[in-house]
Amino acid sequence: MLRSVLLKTLRDQRRSLLAYAISIGALVMLYGSFWPSIKDQPSMSDFMNQMPEAMRSMFAMSGADLSTPAGYAKVELMSFIGPILVILYAVSAGNAAVAGEEDRHTMDLLLANPISRTRLVLDKLGAMIIGILLITAVAGASLLLSGPVFGLSIAAGKAAAAMVHLGLLGLVFGALALAIGATTGRTGASRGVPALVAVLAYMVNGLASMVSWLEPLQKLSPFYQYGGHDRLRNGISGPAVMVSVLTVAGLVLIAIWGFRRRDVLA
Amino acid sequence: MGYLSGEPALYDRLTGREHAQYLGFLRHNVTPKRVEELSGRLTLDLDRPSRELSKGNKQKLALVLAMMSAPPPLVLDEPTGGLDPIAQQDFHDILCEHTDAGGSVLLSSHVLSEVQRVADRVGVLRSGRLVAVERLDELRSKSLHHVQAHFSEPVALEAFSGVPGLVDLSISDHTMTCSAPQSALDLLLKRVSLHQVVDFECVEAELEETFLTYYGEGGDHAA
Repeated sequence: MLRSVLLKTLRDQRRSLLAYAISIGALVMLYGSFWPSIKDQPSMSDFMNQMPEAMRSMFAMSGADLSTPAGYAKVELMSFIGPILVILYAVSAGNAAVAGEEDRHTMDLLLANPISRTRLVLDKLGAMIIGILLITAVAGASLLLSGPVFGLSIAAGKAAAAMVHLGLLGLVFGALALAIGATTGRTGASRGVPALVAVLAYMVNGLASMVSWLEPLQKLSPFYQYGGHDRLRNGISGPAVMVSVLTVAGLVLIAIWGFRRRDVLA
Repeated sequence: MGYLSGEPALYDRLTGREHAQYLGFLRHNVTPKRVEELSGRLTLDLDRPSRELSKGNKQKLALVLAMMSAPPPLVLDEPTGGLDPIAQQDFHDILCEHTDAGGSVLLSSHVLSEVQRVADRVGVLRSGRLVAVERLDELRSKSLHHVQAHFSEPVALEAFSGVPGLVDLSISDHTMTCSAPQSALDLLLKRVSLHQVVDFECVEAELEETFLTYYGEGGDHAA
């Protein structure tokens, strides 16, 4: 596990990755286990429908129907807790990638070897992508397992589509953390700014349908790319994947450019 | 290139051997044998996580990591900070082997006795500017000698004032003291011998003092 920067990075993350994977798997199964007692209770859907519209669209993304497996999974897992866990992992990985290593002064040790800064950023990004794949794969597998176990049946293709978009959502914020960390070398900014941007993007996406001046901004929000078309029901969205991938690519280019042009804090 | 930072940082959770493996893979030219040899000579335990190591042992590990890919030039910033005298000696031996084998070392140090022991050429940095580069043996020829001579009768200051390069010349009663560079010794001795000498003393000053004399206050960062 010490044969490259990518493997070493995954090795460093092994405990936290395991914790994330177990948490998200357990959480999915926990919500799955509530499903049998929820599905026959129309009062839950009524309760949802009685919520103020703003609240409903913020927390559940409007239009979710709690009486169907897809709607239930969307409200309970995909609208809030799933994104939070994946974004949390991605931002901490993106922060640790360059700024964190500089903060612990080990960047000096690492860059004294014949490895380019571009390669370093790409290796760290690769580790982050593998980490996100692992977490979303565990979440997806748990979701599919909830079908036979709790009757929360969701088509495998739709679950996979939702996980792809979930992973991309995390990756966008992870790449943002990486770009800020690589450009500034500061851990505070590379953790704080993506968190702030995530909250704002979440609010813009949630409130855009009610606040007219937010509406043009909605499509800029990664959360719109993530959830705008109800992945668990409608499957993967090519354009949304494209937008997310291009966003990540742009942020990674900024990270490489920013990291190459400055002095590293020893 | 082997590089040692002035304040070497290590990965807390990795052991010495894991550090060597990781950085070795990135450098492609490191053999485990070399790592074992270096750590053996510096008496470093490779199996403890670096966070458990003392300052001196961390420094040893950082040195092993800097020197483990043998042939290329070494850039070492304050390499002996925190090392005990025996480890310093072992380290200097390793450096000498490296240079004997044709390798070069750029070593930065505030400890001039260390510079005196290992350096061939010395550059002096003062507030970020390189103010002098000289071979150590040339510097030696400039090196100051503390000279003290007792005469049987009072001697005038003017008797020595014509000797170039004398520093701190003073005469009190029968005794003349001064500091003279090696190049001035001949003339100084000839002037001294014009008088009747009771006692004569000549001691070479430490390099440190020579530095301070030539390169002034605070300009004592040698490389």
